[in-house]
Amino acid sequence: MSTDYTDLQLDALRELANIGSGTAATALASMLGREVELAVPRALALPLADAVDAVGPADATVSSVVLPITGDIDALVLLLFPPADAATLCGLLGVEPGSEVGDSAIGEIGNILGTSYINALASMAGLALEPKPPHVVCDMLGAIVASLLTGTVGDTGVALVLDSELDVADAACSLSFLLLPTTGGVAELLGRLGVGNA
Amino acid sequence: MGELAVSASPEDELMSIGLGSCIGVAVVDRARGVAALAHVMLPDAAADPEAPPGKYADRAVPALVEQVERLGARRMRLEAVLVGGAQMFDVGVGSALDIGARNATAVRAALSQARIPVRAEEVGGRRGRTMRLHVGPMTITVKEAGGREVELWSGSPSTRRTPAEVMH
Repeated sequence: MSTDYTDLQLDALRELANIGSGTAATALASMLGREVELAVPRALALPLADAVDAVGPADATVSSVVLPITGDIDALVLLLFPPADAATLCGLLGVEPGSEVGDSAIGEIGNILGTSYINALASMAGLALEPKPPHVVCDMLGAIVASLLTGTVGDTGVALVLDSELDVADAACSLSFLLLPTTGGVAELLGRLGVGNA
Repeated sequence: MGELAVSASPEDELMSIGLGSCIGVAVVDRARGVAALAHVMLPDAAADPEAPPGKYADRAVPALVEQVERLGARRMRLEAVLVGGAQMFDVGVGSALDIGARNATAVRAALSQARIPVRAEEVGGRRGRTMRLHVGPMTITVKEAGGREVELWSGSPSTRRTPAEVMH
């Protein structure tokens, strides 16, 4: 099975992810008072099962925050932290890792980063987007990503994942930032970016 | 993920790692020492006919039967064990309303149609699971994230359990 997207379309989506995660990185930096570095995002268009594998090892335990997005497009924003990095982040914010307050702090970070990402996306692509409250789940990476992707792309075959990495300077703390649009959502995004299918 | 594996070698171990809403479906012939495992992601292959057979419940079960029969299993001796089908998130976008439960329904329907009894299952809940099938002793274990590996089913008659006893 090949991907349904052209290189031009994937480049446009990667640029979108770059602007969104750049805005999120700025928000995180000002929240923590530290520099945050941003790797060049990946735009992956793969068969569902391969997309799950591409995100990382299926049996790795990760902390995740999921932010459902509705409006002109439906999508999920997914933040993934190795548990040790989630604990570091809690430490930087002065809350107990693994506690209820810690989970809620992680959820709030997800909320702030996800919202700034989505706002950047919305203004760039001219979309009205509304984030819903975040959900925090700590579980196996494969189980989390597969459960979410089967929901966004269902049986359409190809999953699109926009993957950005954020790295907090001097704190050995990194997180992945994923946008998982529904199949209809990708088509709408590409149309708004002027690289839709005719 | 979406894959299907079969073995008749006692030293083999078949695995489905990180089952969330997906379901690991094991079909075994204990007497013959043959086992197969599919990692089912979605209920119905209608919209995606070129997908690998393990990906969809409706195609995975016939494919499992064909694979174990090819290694000498007898259809009337086949038994099944199911693991997975969790609902990890309350959120749904698109068509994502409890795919775990829909997968479980579709797998059970396909097994029932193939007249294969379900001997044990650990299905539903909110946690991801890893399922391991040890072909030699014909045992199936389940492990949740951060948890211990627990035996769900053993092919030896003394420890056999019925689905009703292991339902959650």
